[in-house]
Amino acid sequence: MSDVPNKTGLAPDVAPDVAPGFSPLSADLKVGATTQVILKAALRDLAKEWIAQGKVVAGPVKTKPGLILYAPLASAEEIVWEGFVHPANSAKEFVFPRHELLCRYQMEGNRVELTNGGVEVAAQILIAVRPCDAAALPILDHVFNWDYRDESYNRRREATTVVTLACASHDESCFCTSVGLGPQSERGSDVMLFDLGDAYEVRCLTEKGRALFAGRTQASERTAPPNLGPEPRFSPEHIKKFVDEHFSSPFWQDETLACLGCGACAYNCPTCHCFDIVDEGNGQHGERVRNWDSCQFAQFTLHASGHNPRPDQGSRQRQRVLHKFSIYPEKFGEILCTGCGNCTRNCPEGQGLLTLLTGIEHA
Amino acid sequence: MSEANQFEPKIVAYVCNWCTYLGADLAGTTRLEYPANVRIIRLPCTGRIDFNLLIKAFEIGADAVLVSGCHPGDCHYTAGNYHARRRWILFRELLDTLGFDLRRIYFTWISAAEGRKWQEEITRITEETRQLGPYRELYQKNGFRRPAPPPPPKPPAPNKSAMAAQEQQLRETCTRLLTEGTVQVVIGYGASGPAFIRRAEDVGKLIWNTDCQANLTTYLKRKEIKRLGKAAVVVKGCDERGLVILEKESQIDRQTLRVIGMACDGMGQPKCDTCEVHQPRFADEIIGDVAPGFSPAPADLKVGVTAATHPLDALMKMSPAERMSFWAQEFERCVKCYACRQVCPLCYCERCIGDKNRPVAIDTSATPKGNFAWHITRAFHLAGRCVGCGECTRACPEGIPLGLLNLALARAAEKHFGYQAGMDSKVEPLIGSYALTDKEDFIR
Repeated sequence: MSDVPNKTGLAPDVAPDVAPGFSPLSADLKVGATTQVILKAALRDLAKEWIAQGKVVAGPVKTKPGLILYAPLASAEEIVWEGFVHPANSAKEFVFPRHELLCRYQMEGNRVELTNGGVEVAAQILIAVRPCDAAALPILDHVFNWDYRDESYNRRREATTVVTLACASHDESCFCTSVGLGPQSERGSDVMLFDLGDAYEVRCLTEKGRALFAGRTQASERTAPPNLGPEPRFSPEHIKKFVDEHFSSPFWQDETLACLGCGACAYNCPTCHCFDIVDEGNGQHGERVRNWDSCQFAQFTLHASGHNPRPDQGSRQRQRVLHKFSIYPEKFGEILCTGCGNCTRNCPEGQGLLTLLTGIEHA
Repeated sequence: MSEANQFEPKIVAYVCNWCTYLGADLAGTTRLEYPANVRIIRLPCTGRIDFNLLIKAFEIGADAVLVSGCHPGDCHYTAGNYHARRRWILFRELLDTLGFDLRRIYFTWISAAEGRKWQEEITRITEETRQLGPYRELYQKNGFRRPAPPPPPKPPAPNKSAMAAQEQQLRETCTRLLTEGTVQVVIGYGASGPAFIRRAEDVGKLIWNTDCQANLTTYLKRKEIKRLGKAAVVVKGCDERGLVILEKESQIDRQTLRVIGMACDGMGQPKCDTCEVHQPRFADEIIGDVAPGFSPAPADLKVGVTAATHPLDALMKMSPAERMSFWAQEFERCVKCYACRQVCPLCYCERCIGDKNRPVAIDTSATPKGNFAWHITRAFHLAGRCVGCGECTRACPEGIPLGLLNLALARAAEKHFGYQAGMDSKVEPLIGSYALTDKEDFIR
């Protein structure tokens, strides 16, 4: 705190004779309610402390003009708190990296020596994460634990604390409310932050979250107003019914002509989790690694014989919708989509899941 | 003993079977001594040496690379070395843009009779590389951070009312083409991305405004679109240049494809600053007019001519190590989604080299090695072909300025060969042809 000129920890626009944590009454006051708040400057200082403690702190960073990405922070000042809807990437990268070393091999004569790739996982804090990214984490947990318990995923996940910032705005790509979430959804978060102007309301939801903010918040009567988010655009039940009944429909071909078959949607999706395992090296030594993969690539289902069961973009897009709205829900009882809208924002041709799903809704 | 004394450079030499390899053999049989730092890899011909091999050598720890073959005129296969020479001229420029240390890349002509030249060159290369020390800068960030170069000034806003008139005319044209049965599908711009119009009553979905950024010619390669039958495609002057290349490379049949060219004042994008083709030239139907001599930008803003504010010029003012650091930082964000490849009208291979896995040509991992290898390959496979539509940069979700690499190659093509891709449908493709007069100053 020593580098903060205002020792009271108050935001500069608050009169200094007001007790810390009790800002002038605002319209969102709920009489009698008790909430916990932290002043914005104090939260920045707290983030600084985390970084100083050697924790990996990641959040939205302005990488270049017009581009905000979730990235590890060099300093707490880098966090972009407002003025955008969603970073171009998703926060899954911090529990399921795009490239991961599984093991190293070394061959000498008939002997093969394997060394585990198990890198030390540092404690990490994801801060100012969007609720749609946080909600994706429990969804990924199923995938990486339902039969094989994926050690490296679990180690990263356990080392991660998720501090979510509730959304104050949305854009036309957002559709969280259509998949049962919302701008203030708590799912997957350890802590929720709500913007109160000069401070954040802090709701600690788990032990991990409480440990992070213990003694750093103040009791208050201020609370954030509810935010309903975007109007629902489709009903997931309707989507499931449609995809289950229209496997061979020309709909898929007709509505996916614009798809170019890149992985921009899947790679920036918080819930897409397909990967490929490859060996990189030579006859003597090398590495076995796990890289992201996408069902939108022609090679994803290509058989060694040359046959491809999903021969065109229509069937690949159908697979993506099927997996998210039928296959996964049947297996785990929930939808494999958090409505973040990143597929639409990142599609070079302005398509994305929402285009297809609203198409289905009106079909 | 200092490290400099201990350092023994590793040098990889890619040599042709017929001249340089025999030259090296002659050096051996005549007992000419030269440093043992060189690892010779024999290939049939310099024309057959893939540029990726140079990169691979550095990846696995080479401190310098030599490529050597027959003197011009001596090629066993008549012209392999002429093809190689043209490629190296361009490839060096790409490596320079990426910040490779060009002092570590050598090219020589050594004949079967020149055992002594082989001895001298290897001795020289070994000594020079020893002086340079190990190649540590490869793919390194070096903590170097420079603010992104300022974006070029915006060109004047396009003429909205003229665009509305063009939109009307476009719809009329497409109605005619579809009603007459000239085409079965019109590939045009719709309100939410590309539109594929198959019935005359749907032409109202076609739009023409400043959101029409995409280069729709990329859809001509897709089998999903080919299945729809004879197509008409809506192009801007810049997109149309790609069709010239595609036709030259036998990828489209101009007899069946209808091209609807839209005169365009610019879409308000930086690339429009340097555009020289506001008026389509090869289209079957041309819609709208751009006043003769129209230019939204000063005339000196042409490809190959320096504009002080262009990001590529800002980049080239840096030192090679800084440039490499710049690209290492940019490529660090690459997730290998291949949007750059998929969106490119000229990336039409049935199976991309990036997808080959028996054996793997390019690591699929999104690591510095895998990402540099991919972006070098992508850019160089477009050498002399890229028409600068800028779709790769537009498509990249991670904001990597990929078009800069292609622009560097386009400038090199113009500087060395006076060649501009897609401007003249009569000119032979740059790569795939050669001239005895091709000039360079780096082959010894």
